[in-house]
Amino acid sequence: MTITNAPKRRSGSLAKVEARQALGFASPALVGLALFTIVPVVLSIVMSFFDWPTFGERTFNGGANYARLFEDPNFLPALRNTIVFTLLYVPLSVVFSLALAIGLGPRIRGRGALRVLFFIPVVTPMVANVLVWKMLLQPQGLFNGLAQTWFGVELPNFLADKNWAMIMVVVMSVWQGIGYNMLIFSAALEQLPESVMEAARIDGARGFRMTWSIMVPMISPAIFFATIMTMITSLQVFVQPQMLTGGGPGNATQPLVMWIYNQGFKFQDLGLAAAGAWILFALIITVTAIQFKAQKRWVHYEH
Amino acid sequence: MKKMRVGAVVAVAGVAVALTGCTSAGGGAADGDTIVVDMWAGSEDDTAALEAQMDVVREQNPDIKVELRTAPWGDFFTKLTTNMASGNMACVTGMNSGMLASYTSGFTKLTDDDLATAGLAASDFAEGSLEILSNKGDMYGVPFDVATMLTYYNEDQLTAAGTDLPSIGWTFDDFEAIAAKATTDGKYGFGIGMGDFQWQALPIAKGGLQPVAQDGTLQLTDPAFADAAEWYAGLVTEQKVAAPVASASDGGWGENQFTSENAAMAVDGTWNAVGYLTNDAGFAAGMAPLPTGENGNLSLILGSGYGIAESCENKEDALKVLGSLLSKDAQDYIASSGRSYPARAESQPLYFESLDEAYREQVEATFVAAFENVQGQYVSDNWAKVGTFVQPSLVSIYNGQESMSAVLESAQQQFGN
Repeated sequence: MTITNAPKRRSGSLAKVEARQALGFASPALVGLALFTIVPVVLSIVMSFFDWPTFGERTFNGGANYARLFEDPNFLPALRNTIVFTLLYVPLSVVFSLALAIGLGPRIRGRGALRVLFFIPVVTPMVANVLVWKMLLQPQGLFNGLAQTWFGVELPNFLADKNWAMIMVVVMSVWQGIGYNMLIFSAALEQLPESVMEAARIDGARGFRMTWSIMVPMISPAIFFATIMTMITSLQVFVQPQMLTGGGPGNATQPLVMWIYNQGFKFQDLGLAAAGAWILFALIITVTAIQFKAQKRWVHYEH
Repeated sequence: MKKMRVGAVVAVAGVAVALTGCTSAGGGAADGDTIVVDMWAGSEDDTAALEAQMDVVREQNPDIKVELRTAPWGDFFTKLTTNMASGNMACVTGMNSGMLASYTSGFTKLTDDDLATAGLAASDFAEGSLEILSNKGDMYGVPFDVATMLTYYNEDQLTAAGTDLPSIGWTFDDFEAIAAKATTDGKYGFGIGMGDFQWQALPIAKGGLQPVAQDGTLQLTDPAFADAAEWYAGLVTEQKVAAPVASASDGGWGENQFTSENAAMAVDGTWNAVGYLTNDAGFAAGMAPLPTGENGNLSLILGSGYGIAESCENKEDALKVLGSLLSKDAQDYIASSGRSYPARAESQPLYFESLDEAYREQVEATFVAAFENVQGQYVSDNWAKVGTFVQPSLVSIYNGQESMSAVLESAQQQFGN
């Protein structure tokens, strides 16, 4: 570590002028931060300790909302659904997108175009994606039609069957999100230092050994980033189950965010919704903290 | 420096708090003495129609300043919730019978004196229509249109299947026979309902009983309703005259099956009558009241109208505006434009005159018969929760994974107290 001399302090008045100018430049962002982040966050904490109907009198009820959460027959199933979705979605999404990124390596001709194709579902509106999947999955849809024509087999009513609905939400979500992680992994793979790869080849590394022992550890920061971000977004999943299955059948695919949405906007119980949101926040922050703690064991930052 | 930054952040946050807390009370007045009318409008046509009604208001009340605000149906209630929460609700606000239960606290209860101030009399309106915007015996608004549920049918499909056509006075036995005969060649006789009104209409008609009592008590497990609901689910699981639903997010399943010619019959509101008769697919469509069962053929009277905001500071002028919006001139306009079936009895014939001659007679006869035995919808305090619980479970019921009685019992236990 080298120690450098700190630059000489400039005169106080100039520093003040610069500070004011800096604040002037930063103020639009600060106002935005305050208006749309700090105030709502603080308000939601306050809200979670109140009986807070959308309209009408608000009364402080201590931690009663948090106790009510566990009496609600839909809260724990929603929490379970969110966890199940995350446990299924995150590994599948990361593994498939990594495999795709490796597969679309330098030897593949037109890999740029292929990457664009795989990225399309990420940028197309979710409504359109869901409509396509509904057309594939419903009893009169493509999959069942083909299964009956080719094999004489009737497929289950995927989105209406309790045992299949969540699986289909995960499958559709993996398809929809695979392009994003693929792009992150592709960028990381392109950056691999040729000298290290060459050295590994000289040492006889090929195929799976090359991928598992050389490439994966070297792009582990990218895998870590993708895993963290995918985990956070999957714990906040809402649109896919809302549009594909409506949270049903029953509450089989209702995630926590949909439960919060229902409490707040359908049943107008903002206090309970805010309490649910803080449980979700606690879950996300805990899982993220664990991941950061665990990264020391498997993420390698130096090449 | 550090102190200054912290101070700046606190100051900015303070300004933000002050800004967000700065909501004006006063009933949504555009300025002090303007009466604002807030209503949903999804297209330029809708807005133009509302403006035409506002012209009637201006003509009848030259001394009152009025302003129209609109939002599409999908956004209207979100906006209304926000306006209510911030004490900024428009003095005259649109409301729908199916949504009223969640918004009663925003509206002032209307008395006979209020109706007199508005220049309206209960006798002006079609029978039962004043129940539309009433809740537990209190009136929160006056309707501009009325609606009820009907059975729509694909005449081409039923004729090809060699069945009778549904007609006034038909029974549930007729319904079953027609549905069974029309279930052929991969097509179904009936499109099963997923929407609240669409699925409840036949059980209510068959059982002669609403799932909620007049005093707001939930009675989902009352045998009259529960048995009829069980029968309804059996149309898919036992009689197999309707296709199981693909997903709980398919709120308009039965109606879509009907318009896409996969189902020969469907239950839907009178508000879609013209749409079905002039359907894009081009099939000949017809309509009939709900079938009659052993307990009659009870149907709900539904519709939309206007109420006065509890926070309105100029209630008298607001009532005058409301009176003009429900006046004969405004109602005649609604009726003669064929936009909806008006609530004012004397304007109703104009609605039929606006229809194509080819189906005018059938529509009139069906409407008259269907509105004969109607009742305002009763809802419990947590009716929204009941709907949110039952609707996604219908998928499992139609799919044979759960029984209707178990779902209704569970809903009764959770929301019945």
